[in-house]
Amino acid sequence: MTRAMIAEDPTRLVHAYVDGELDPANALALETRMATDAGLAAECERVEALQRLIRQRLPREAPPAGLRARIEASVGMRRPRVQPTWRALAASIALTAVVASGATSIVLAPTSLVLAPERTEPVREAVVAGHIRSLMAPQPFDVASSDKHTVKPWFNGKIPEAPRVVDLARDDFPLAGGRLDVVGQTPAPTLVYRHRKHLISLTEVPAPGQPNAAPVLRTVDGYNVLDWTDDGVAYWAISDMAAADLDKFARLFRAASPDQ
Amino acid sequence: MTIVSIHADRATARKVVWSGDRPKDPIETSRHDGDAAMATGEDDKARFARIVLPHLADAYSLARWITGNRTDADDVVQDACLRAFRAIWSTADGNPRAWVLTIVRNTAYTWLRKNRPAALVGVEDLEAVENAQAGRGDAEAETPETALIAKTDSAHLEAAIAALPAPFREALVLRDVQGLSYREIADVTGVPIGTVMSRLARGRGQLIKTIGRRAS
Repeated sequence: MTRAMIAEDPTRLVHAYVDGELDPANALALETRMATDAGLAAECERVEALQRLIRQRLPREAPPAGLRARIEASVGMRRPRVQPTWRALAASIALTAVVASGATSIVLAPTSLVLAPERTEPVREAVVAGHIRSLMAPQPFDVASSDKHTVKPWFNGKIPEAPRVVDLARDDFPLAGGRLDVVGQTPAPTLVYRHRKHLISLTEVPAPGQPNAAPVLRTVDGYNVLDWTDDGVAYWAISDMAAADLDKFARLFRAASPDQ
Repeated sequence: MTIVSIHADRATARKVVWSGDRPKDPIETSRHDGDAAMATGEDDKARFARIVLPHLADAYSLARWITGNRTDADDVVQDACLRAFRAIWSTADGNPRAWVLTIVRNTAYTWLRKNRPAALVGVEDLEAVENAQAGRGDAEAETPETALIAKTDSAHLEAAIAALPAPFREALVLRDVQGLSYREIADVTGVPIGTVMSRLARGRGQLIKTIGRRAS
């Protein structure tokens, strides 16, 4: 049976073999045959080379920025998206400023502390704008260092609270530096990490009183944007690298200890 | 014309009507799983957000490869998502990605039939196309070396995939771009596994030769 199958169409089986779809008996039989049949072995190499090529070179394209929002609107998950007006932006800045100042936060009703999803949109856009601007600048950070003991103190005196900085160099996400972005009118610390040839901007926006929230991925202007909340700080990670890598970064960042 | 009652909801009974020209449509053939979902108290939108939205990038990519352009892909994905939303209770939780891709694929072909019939090779012509393509490819081109394949740039690779006949292209995209198993591809495209295997082998063979021709 196995022999008959091989004799029938060995070339076709090479594809199934490369895809890991052959049962062990046929896989073994094909391997035995490839050991002596140079033509068949070459076909196997070509298929593998083609798969590598597709993985490495085929451009991956994120869905257009507004597609998800249009779909959500069409099934009634949210109102059709409107461009954030300066009013909405100002409201969110005012809220952030009030909340960040700390002293006045007790006068706010608890419900007002939780930012509604549409309230976070101006923040997201400001954060993405910060990332894009940084890529156009001569360098994407104001302090360049892979040492968190250099980056973290740089923020002293510029913002009320030092950002959380962790060292992820061992996991192939070395720190590259830091800068101040402006979210609305509030300066927000941004860390810049590297992953291979990609840059990741990680902006930390104070969000006292907000519950912890697991990362949510969105695509904005072709960038992957991941945001989550831990211990009263909203984290915004932006990069042009694959969503899976950004997700890994977020997991490592959240799990890492800042005191190492 | 078939009428399928998708889910008898607590408050309103919803009915979805489809024209009967899509025999392999998952919306019509998948089993009713509303009761299990009802027990969890999940509503339509939450279920849609959990089952469909995570696969938007894959859905868009498949739609773009089938239709060949971004604007059409955008329309197709929106249509498909609306259909998926209306039928959100007709799928079990087993393999949401394959379910979404099946709907996207069927929507894309329906869309092409309606709007760009010329772009579509009917399934009935397929065998002739396969034979013609296979024969021509064999005669014209030398099979390139592995090193030559590795040197191909993005633009040529993309163009070569786009030039494949639709059935080969979708099998190749589902396997080598989106990483589906043969079983899943067979389910999404509604053909036996043996056909998936031969389409992949021929599609890749043709792609390798096109790459070789461009390079030489």
